[in-house]
Amino acid sequence: MSNPLEDMSKPDVIFCIGTNMTECHPVAATGIKKALAKGAKLIVADPRHIPLAKLADVVLPLRVGSDVALLLGMAHVIAREGLVDEEFLAARTSGGDEFLAHVAKFTPEWAEGISGVPAADIEAAGLLFGRAERGAIYYTLGITEHICGVDNVQSLCNLALMTGNIGREGTGINPMRGQNNIQGAGDCGALPNNYVGFQPVTDPANQAKFAEAYGHEVDLELGMTKVTALEQCGDQIRAMLIDGENTLVTDPDQGHCEHALKSLDHLVVIDIFLTDTAALADVVFPATAYGETDGVCTNTERRVQRLRAAVPPPGEARPDWWIISQMAKRCGFSGFEFESAKDVFNEICSLSPTYAGLNWDRIADGAYIWPVPYDGHPGTPILHQDEFINGRGLFKLIEYRDPAEVVCDEFPVWLTTGRRLQSYHSRTQTGRSSGIDYLLWEESLEVHPDDVADWGLTDGGWCRMTSARGSISIKVKATRQSPRGTVFASFSFSDVPVNVLTGSGYDPITQTAELKVCTVRIEPASVPEPAIST
Amino acid sequence: MSERHIEIDGQSVPYEEGETLLEAAGRTDAEIPTLCYDPRLEPFGGCRLCVVEIEGSHNPVASCARKCEDGMVVRTATDALEQHRKTLVEMVCSENRQVDVDPLSGFASQELAVLADRYDARTQRFVGRRSGQSRVDDDDNPFILRDYDQCISCYRCVRVCAEQEGDYAISVKGRGFDTQITVEFDGKLNESACTFCGQCVATCPTGALADRKALRHVDTPGPIEKTRTICPYCGVGCSVDLLTKGDSLVGVQPAMDGPANKGALCIKGQYAYDFVQHGDRLTTPLLRGDDGELHPASWDEALDVAAAGFLKARDEHGRHSIYAIASGRAPHEAAYTTQRFIRAGFWTNHVDNCSRA
Amino acid sequence: MAGQNNEQLIEHWKDEPAPLLPLLHAFHDRDGHLSEDALRAVSAALRIPLADLYGTVTFYHHFARFPPGMSAPRVCTGPVCRLVGGTELLEAMRKDGATPMACAGRCDEPIPVLTDHAVSVGATVEALQERPSPLPVANPGGLPECVFRSIRKEGRAGIAGYQKSGGYRALRSALSSGFPAAVIETVERSELAGRGGAGFPTGRKWRAVANEERGPKSVVCNADEGEPGCFKDRVLMDHDPHAVIEGMILAAYAVGASRGFIYLRYEYPQTAVILQRAIDEATEAGLLGDDILGGGLDFRIYVRRGAGAYICGEEGSLLNSLEGKHPFPRERPPYPVSHGFEDLPTVVNNVETLASVPPIIDRGGDWYRKLGLGDHAGTKVISLSGDIQRPGNYEVPIGFPLPTLLNEWAGGAPEGRTIQAVTMAGISGGFLAGDDLETTLDESSVRARGSMLGAGGIMVFDDSRDMVDVAHSCMEFFAHESCGKCFPCRIGTQRLTERLAEADDVGAAGPGDRADWAREVEDIGEVMKATSACGLGMAAPLITESLMRYWPDRVAEHVASRAS
Repeated sequence: MSNPLEDMSKPDVIFCIGTNMTECHPVAATGIKKALAKGAKLIVADPRHIPLAKLADVVLPLRVGSDVALLLGMAHVIAREGLVDEEFLAARTSGGDEFLAHVAKFTPEWAEGISGVPAADIEAAGLLFGRAERGAIYYTLGITEHICGVDNVQSLCNLALMTGNIGREGTGINPMRGQNNIQGAGDCGALPNNYVGFQPVTDPANQAKFAEAYGHEVDLELGMTKVTALEQCGDQIRAMLIDGENTLVTDPDQGHCEHALKSLDHLVVIDIFLTDTAALADVVFPATAYGETDGVCTNTERRVQRLRAAVPPPGEARPDWWIISQMAKRCGFSGFEFESAKDVFNEICSLSPTYAGLNWDRIADGAYIWPVPYDGHPGTPILHQDEFINGRGLFKLIEYRDPAEVVCDEFPVWLTTGRRLQSYHSRTQTGRSSGIDYLLWEESLEVHPDDVADWGLTDGGWCRMTSARGSISIKVKATRQSPRGTVFASFSFSDVPVNVLTGSGYDPITQTAELKVCTVRIEPASVPEPAIST
Repeated sequence: MSERHIEIDGQSVPYEEGETLLEAAGRTDAEIPTLCYDPRLEPFGGCRLCVVEIEGSHNPVASCARKCEDGMVVRTATDALEQHRKTLVEMVCSENRQVDVDPLSGFASQELAVLADRYDARTQRFVGRRSGQSRVDDDDNPFILRDYDQCISCYRCVRVCAEQEGDYAISVKGRGFDTQITVEFDGKLNESACTFCGQCVATCPTGALADRKALRHVDTPGPIEKTRTICPYCGVGCSVDLLTKGDSLVGVQPAMDGPANKGALCIKGQYAYDFVQHGDRLTTPLLRGDDGELHPASWDEALDVAAAGFLKARDEHGRHSIYAIASGRAPHEAAYTTQRFIRAGFWTNHVDNCSRA
Repeated sequence: MAGQNNEQLIEHWKDEPAPLLPLLHAFHDRDGHLSEDALRAVSAALRIPLADLYGTVTFYHHFARFPPGMSAPRVCTGPVCRLVGGTELLEAMRKDGATPMACAGRCDEPIPVLTDHAVSVGATVEALQERPSPLPVANPGGLPECVFRSIRKEGRAGIAGYQKSGGYRALRSALSSGFPAAVIETVERSELAGRGGAGFPTGRKWRAVANEERGPKSVVCNADEGEPGCFKDRVLMDHDPHAVIEGMILAAYAVGASRGFIYLRYEYPQTAVILQRAIDEATEAGLLGDDILGGGLDFRIYVRRGAGAYICGEEGSLLNSLEGKHPFPRERPPYPVSHGFEDLPTVVNNVETLASVPPIIDRGGDWYRKLGLGDHAGTKVISLSGDIQRPGNYEVPIGFPLPTLLNEWAGGAPEGRTIQAVTMAGISGGFLAGDDLETTLDESSVRARGSMLGAGGIMVFDDSRDMVDVAHSCMEFFAHESCGKCFPCRIGTQRLTERLAEADDVGAAGPGDRADWAREVEDIGEVMKATSACGLGMAAPLITESLMRYWPDRVAEHVASRAS
C-alpha cells in the first residue's frame, strides 16, 4: 500500500476494485466504513454483488477480466471533463500527454461494450473519482490474478497519476495483501529477482555486497518464478523445499501441480499440519505455529511487527528458521549459526536498506512502517510524497486484452474464485478451529437464481462443473450475489477442489495465475462424483 | 496561537481543540469512572458516572462528551460527585444477576466489578426488577454468549458494531427499563448482519456479551496470561493478545492499542485460533520409508536425509536444479533463511514465495 | 396511501426532507402495522441499517409490528383520565383489543380513545364520540391576551378568516421592511421566552441562528406536546394554525431558514389534517414556497408526525427523530442553534412561542412585554384539568396568582370538595399543596417552591385523592417514557415506580423500613436531578420530593403497609 491503513477513513472518494474487502480484509474494511459514515463516496467495481457493493454510491458490475476497459473508460471521462490534475502531471509525471491522447478513443460506450457496465455508470464513476479531493484506490487479487494483472495495476496507477491522487494523506494505490506475511516474504528476499530489501540480484553492486555478506559467490542470473519452477519439475528442477504452503490446493490447475511435485527427486515440506502437499514430500518437518513462534512480520501497510510465543509447541515442532538453518548446516553451509529469531532479524536489518533503521528491540511496539533507511528515521507511512522511486511517475499506454479463456459454446459460463469471511485459504487452520463449521460447513457454487432455473439446476442440489482442465462436483446456491452467466466458488474446501478447474493462463510479467477467470460448463447432477483432472 | 488550558482539580492542563474533559483528565491523576465509554467510539453520555463539576455550571456535566474550553475550572471528585457515583453503581448493580464474571468473558468484562469494588457498591440496595432477557439457550452460536440478564444498556455493543465495525448488526429494542439489546427482528446472531467479529464481546463491561469459546476454559487451572502477537490470517496485521492458562491457549482478545487495528478484529482473528493446539499438528519429523509411506523420524535422521537430497540433486543436476518456495504465512526469519539457504548455499536465485497464487 | 405498493410509497417519500417518519407512517397507515417486509423495504430505500430501523421503530409506542395494530383502540390512562374512569374504560374495551396509552392531551375533555386515525372522547364506551378541540373559554378575567386574542373569531382556522382578523399582517410588514434583524430586535424587546417550558429567550436563540454561516437552516416547531396535562398547543394549532405558520415564516425570515418542520405528536391526528390544510392554503397564497410575497424568502413547511414518544418533545430527541435516528436526547453543547437538524443551524421553538410572534411583530415588543404583571414579560397559556369546575386553556399574564386562576376563573374544586394539590409543568414540576398553592404563575415564584411552571400544565387533585397513588401513576409515566439512554433515569424511574407501588402490586419492590425507603428514594432523586442527561430524569424526582414534603404521614403509611 502506498498509504497506511489509518488513511482508509480519510478519503472523500474511495474506489474499490477487485477486492471483496469486507470478507477478505474485514478489519481494513472498517476504515472504509468509517469514511462512509463521515460522508465519503464509494465506487465499487466487481463482477459480483459483494457486500461492499451494498454500501457503494456507484456500482460497476464488470464482466470478469474486463478491468482495463472499464478503467480506460473512466480515464477517458476524467480527461474529457478536464478533471486532470495538470499541476501534478507537469511536476511529477511523464508520458501524460501521450496518455491523454491515448484514452481519447476509449469512450464509456466503448467500455460498456466490453465490460457490460452501463456507460452512464462509468461516466458517473469517472466524474466522482475525477472530482475527488482525496481519492484512494484499493484493490486485491481481483486485479492481479489475471493474465493482464500488470496492465490492470498500471491502469489504476494511470488513474491515480492523472488525478494527482498519490503521495498525499487519504489517497494512493493500495493493494491489500492477502497473507499475514506475504509482504515480509518479499521484504526478506524470497523472490527470484531481489535480495532482501528489494535489491535487484542483477545489479553488480548488490551482487558484490551479498557475495561478501554470505561469504560465497552469488548467482548472477535472475531466478525462476514459482510458476516456471512447477513447470520445470522433473526437468530442470529436481529438489524443492516448500515452507508453509499448501501448493497443491491453493495453486491453479491442481492436476498439473500434483504431477509436478510428484516428478521431483526430492521434496522437503515444512508445515504445521500434514497438508495434501506435505503428504507428497520425502521429508516433512513439523514447524511451530502462531502463538508458538517468536519472529517478525510485515503487514500490508509495510508495518514491521513482532510475533511472540505464548505456548510451547507440540512435540518436537521447531521454528522454521531453526529447521532451515539446521538443514543448511548439514549441507555444510556456513553463516547459519543463528541462535534466535532475533539473530536472524538483526541480520536482515543489517543487509536491507529499507530496514536499516530497525532492529529487534526497536520494533517491539510495531511503530515503524518501512522504509526506515537509518537510525532515528521515523518510518514512511506515505510513499511517493515528494518524488517517485524512479523520479517521475510514468504513464503507461495500456490496451484491453481478452482473458486467456473467453466463454464459448463448450464452456459458456464464467467462473471466478475467491475467499469467504469465515474460512481462510485451504482451511488447514480455520477448518480446525471450533465453531467455524457453525457458520460455514461446506462449499457451494454461487449462481444467479435465473441461471439456476435456466440451466436446470436446483438450489441446494448438486452440479457438475467442467473446465478445459478438469471437472468437479459442487452444490448449487442460488444468490443474486452472482450476476447472470458468472458463477463463484472459494477454493477452501478440499472436497471441492475448485483449483482443478483454474489455471487458464498467467500474466506474462509476474507469472501470476489467472485464478479470477476461467470458463466452465455446468450441468445438473444427482450425486457428487470425485474430481477429475484432465 | 497561545496554548489553551483548563484547570482540573487545581492542576493546569493544556488541551487540543476538540478534546473532551475526560480525554484531558486522562493526562492527570484524576480517575474518572466510566461504564459506557470506549475511547474508540463517539462519546455517548449514557452512564453519567463521568460527570464532573464545572465552575459556573449549575449541574455536573458528562466529561466524556463535554469539550474543553479555555479557562474551564473542573473538579472531578468532590464528595457530592463521589456520592452520586456510588449511588449510580449501586443502582447498576441492582439490575443484574451478578456483578462478578470470569475474566475470560471478554476484554472489558471486569469494568463493573472493578467499579463496584472501588465504590463499595455491592450493597443490595435498590432491589427491584432486573433488566434484560438472556438469549443463552436459543442462540446456540458457538462464539458469542448473549447473557442479557447481565446487560446494563450501555450501548457499547451497539455503538462498536456500528461505529467501529460498520456492521450495524446490533440494535436496541424498546426503551427505558425495558430496553433490550437485540438484532433485527429479535433473531439469532447468525440470522442477522453479525459477522462474529467479537467486538461487542470485547467492549462489554459486564460479561453480558461474553466469549463462549474462551469460557470453555473457566475450569482450566492457572492464572490468565496475555501475550501480544499478530493475527496469522490476512495482511492487515491486527495485534492480538493471546490468553493462556499454563500451556493452554484459551482465547484471543483484540489489542486496543494495536497499531494496525486499534482493537478491531474479524471472526478469524478473534475465534479461529484453536488449530494451534489441534491434535492434527505435526509433532515429529516424517520420513518417507521404503514402503512409500511417511513415518515419524528423529530430527537427526530427517535433517540428514533432507540435506542429502538437496546435495545429491545439486551434484547430479547442477545448482539450478534446486528450488525453494518460502511461506507468506511464516515469519521473516523463515523467508530469510530460506532464501539464504538457496542463495548462499546453492549459489542460485531459485527462490520465490507464494504470492503468485 | 391505501392501495399503493411498496415502491410507490417509497418513491413518494424517499427524496423528501426528513423522510423516515412519514414513510413509516405511510406503510403503517396502509397495513395497520409495520411488517417485516415493510421494514426491509424502508431500510433498503433509505439506506438505514435494518437493525437500527428495527430498534427505532420499536422505540415508538404507536408503531405496531403486528395486527391488529392501529385498528385496535388505545385508551388514555393518564393522571386526569384515571380520575374519571380511564382504567375502567380500558377494561371495558379490552375485548376489542384495547391497550393503554399515556396522556393523549385531551384532559379538558376526557377520555380520549385513539383508533385508526380518529380520536373519540367520552367517559364510557357509549359516550365516545369524535369531537373537535374545545375553544378556550371566553376570556374570564378580561385581561389582554396575546395568542388567544383572536382565536375565538369566526373562521380563524382558515386563511380567509385569519387574514380578516389581522393575520399575515405582521409577515407582510416584516418582509416589506427588508430587515430580518428588525424582527429579531422586536422579539428580543418583547422578552418572549420559550413557552414549551425551558424558558430560553427566543430573540437570543434567533440571533444565534441568524449569526451562523452554515446552511441550509431550519425552523422546527415543537408540537410534540407530550407532557401529561398539557393541551394548549393542540388548541392553538386546531383553531389558529395560521398563527403558528406565520410565526414560523417570521422565524425563517429572521434567521434565514429555508426549511420548516412541524413535529406533531401522534395522538393529534385531526390536528395533522388541519395543519396540512393551512399549509396548503398558505402555499397557494404565496405565503410559503419560493420568493414569499416577493420578499426574496424561500421557505417551505413540512408536517412530520411522531409515533408515540414523550421524549421526542425534548429538542435533541425531536431532531434525532426527525432525522430518522434513534430518538435519544443529544449531548449539549453543541446546541441546535449551531448543530440542529442534519447538524445544521436550527431554530427549535414551541407552538405557543411561535404563535406569539405575529402579534408581537404586529403590536411591538413593548406591548407584549407589558402584558406581564410586575417585572414579568408577556403571557402564558395554562392548561387546567382534573378536579376543577371549568377545565380548559387559560391565557394568563405571567405573574398571575394561581388561586385566582383556580378559584375565580375556573370555579374551584367540584362541589363539596377542596383542592388538595396541583401538579405543575404537567407533571414535571411535581406537586404543590398547602400554602404553596398561593404562588404566582411565574418561573421564579414557582421555583422558589421547589417546582417549575414549565409548559404550563396544571392538574388539580381534590381532597378525596390518594396522592401516593397519583405519584405512582406519574412515576409510571416517566418510567414508561424514559428513553433508556442514561442510567440514572432508566434505572431511577423504574426503582421509584417500584417504591411507589402498593404493596400487593406486581411491580412493587423496595424496603419496608421507612428510613431505608426514604434514603433510597432520596438518593435516587439526588442522582437523577444531578446527573440525568435531559429534563425527564431531572424532573421525575420532583414527584417523590414533593410527595414526601407535603404528605409525610401518608408516605409512612404506604411504606408501613409493605413492611410485612
